[in-house]
Amino acid sequence: MKLTKQSQIRDAHTLAGAYAMDAVSAPDRERFERHLAGCEECAREIASLREATAMLGTATAAAVPAGLKERIMAAAAMTRQQPPADEPQPVPVRTGTWFRSLAWPGRLTLATAGAAAAAVLAVAVVFGIANSSMQHQIDQAQASSQQIAVVLTAQDAHMMTGTVAGGGTATIVMSHARHALVFTAQGLHALPASRGYELWLIGPAGTRSAGMLPAGRHGMTGPVIASGLRPGDRLALTAEPADGSAHPDTPMMLDLVL
Amino acid sequence: MTATGSQEPRNRARPAPATRAGIDLAGQIALVARGETAAFDAVFEQIGPSVFGVVKRVIRDPAQSEEVTQEVMLEVWRSASKFDAGRGSATAWVMTLAHRRAVDRVRSVQKEAERERRVAAAEIPFDEVIEAVESSLERERVRRCLGSLTEVQRESVTLAYYRGYTYGQVASLLGVPTGTVKTRMRDALIRLRDCLGVAE
Repeated sequence: MKLTKQSQIRDAHTLAGAYAMDAVSAPDRERFERHLAGCEECAREIASLREATAMLGTATAAAVPAGLKERIMAAAAMTRQQPPADEPQPVPVRTGTWFRSLAWPGRLTLATAGAAAAAVLAVAVVFGIANSSMQHQIDQAQASSQQIAVVLTAQDAHMMTGTVAGGGTATIVMSHARHALVFTAQGLHALPASRGYELWLIGPAGTRSAGMLPAGRHGMTGPVIASGLRPGDRLALTAEPADGSAHPDTPMMLDLVL
Repeated sequence: MTATGSQEPRNRARPAPATRAGIDLAGQIALVARGETAAFDAVFEQIGPSVFGVVKRVIRDPAQSEEVTQEVMLEVWRSASKFDAGRGSATAWVMTLAHRRAVDRVRSVQKEAERERRVAAAEIPFDEVIEAVESSLERERVRRCLGSLTEVQRESVTLAYYRGYTYGQVASLLGVPTGTVKTRMRDALIRLRDCLGVAE
C-alpha cells in the first residue's frame, strides 16, 4: 500500500521516540534525518527528547578507569580540530593508502569500519598532511608512525606543554615506559634556511641530541619522535645550524622537566 | 531551548541539566573549540564518567567501552566548534554522541541474529538499570521518573536505550507490533522529559 503524504509524516513523527534513543536501523535513521532536515517542529521535539535521554545516560555515570583520561588527553593533543561551520577552511586531510597500513596498538585498536575511518583521520592528523610530492617524508613518517602511536597509546602517556622563548608553544606526549616522547609545536618563529630547531634530552645520562625539527607547515611543527628518554631528563630546544650540532651552542628556547 | 508543539505541560521551574552540576559545560566546550586543553580536561572531569557509564551500559565489555569512550571524547574535541547551544544542552550533545557510538559499535560487532538469541536469554531487572551506587539527586530523579512510566513504556525505553536495541527488535522481544512500540517509546520519552523537568 502506498502511504499518503500525511500518513508518512505521521509515521515520521511517531518515530521520534525511537530515533531519540538510537533505536532505529540505519535505513530508518537516514529516512528520519531526511525528514528532520525539513521539519523544524520535529527537530525541536527531538532536541527536547534528547534532554531526557541524556539524563538516562548521566544516571549511569561510573568511575572512569585509571589512565583513560590521560590517553584521551594525549590523543587530543595530537588531533586536529574541525573549524567552525560558518568559516570553512580547507582541511587538507588525505586518506592515502599509507595510512591504512598503520596499526594502532593495544587498547586503541579500533575494530569497526566507522571507527577505522576515525582512526585514519586521527592518524592523518597526527602526521599532518600527506603531500604526495614528498614521498621521502611520507616514508619517514611511515617509519616513525608506529613509534608515535606506541607513545600516544602507552598506559603512562603524559602530556605537557611549554612556551618557547621567541614565540610558539610546544606540546609533548611522553611515555617513560616507552622511553620516548612525541613533540609538536605551534607558532614557532620561522628560521632562515641555514638554521634549524634542534631538540635535546639533557639529564644524568648526559646531553643528547634528539634530532632536528622539520620545517613548520601552516604554523605547525612535527610531530617528531624523540627516543632514548631516560629518567631525570629535561627536554630542551635550541636554534642550531641546519645540519645540527653535537652540543647545544645557543640559548635554550624551551626547557621542560620531564 | 524553545517549546515543542506538543500538548504536555511546560514551565517546570527547574534548572536545565547543563547547568545543574558543576561547571558550565557549554562554556567549556566553547573553549575546547579554541583548542584549550585545560577546558577539555574540565569537560572530561564533568562528563567523562557519564560517557563511560552509558557506553559501558550498552556495550558491556570494559575494554571496548574504553575504546568507544576515547572515540567519543575525541569526537567532542574535534567537533567542539559544531556544538550549537541554541539547539540543546551540552550534556545532551555529548551524551547523544556517546550513546550513538555505543549503539553503532554493538550493532556492527554483533550479528543481529546472535543478538536476538542473547537478548532472549538476558534478564532485564529494573534495579540493574539504575545502580544504587553513588546515589545522587539526579540519579534518584531518573529512577523515580522511570518508575512513573507504565511497565510497557519502561520496558521499551530500557531495552532501547540501555541495551541498544532497535524498535523492531524490541517489538519482537515483547511480541507486540512495531507501530505500538514506536508509539510507546515516544510517549514514554515525552513523559520522562516532563517528569525530569528538562529544558524544552
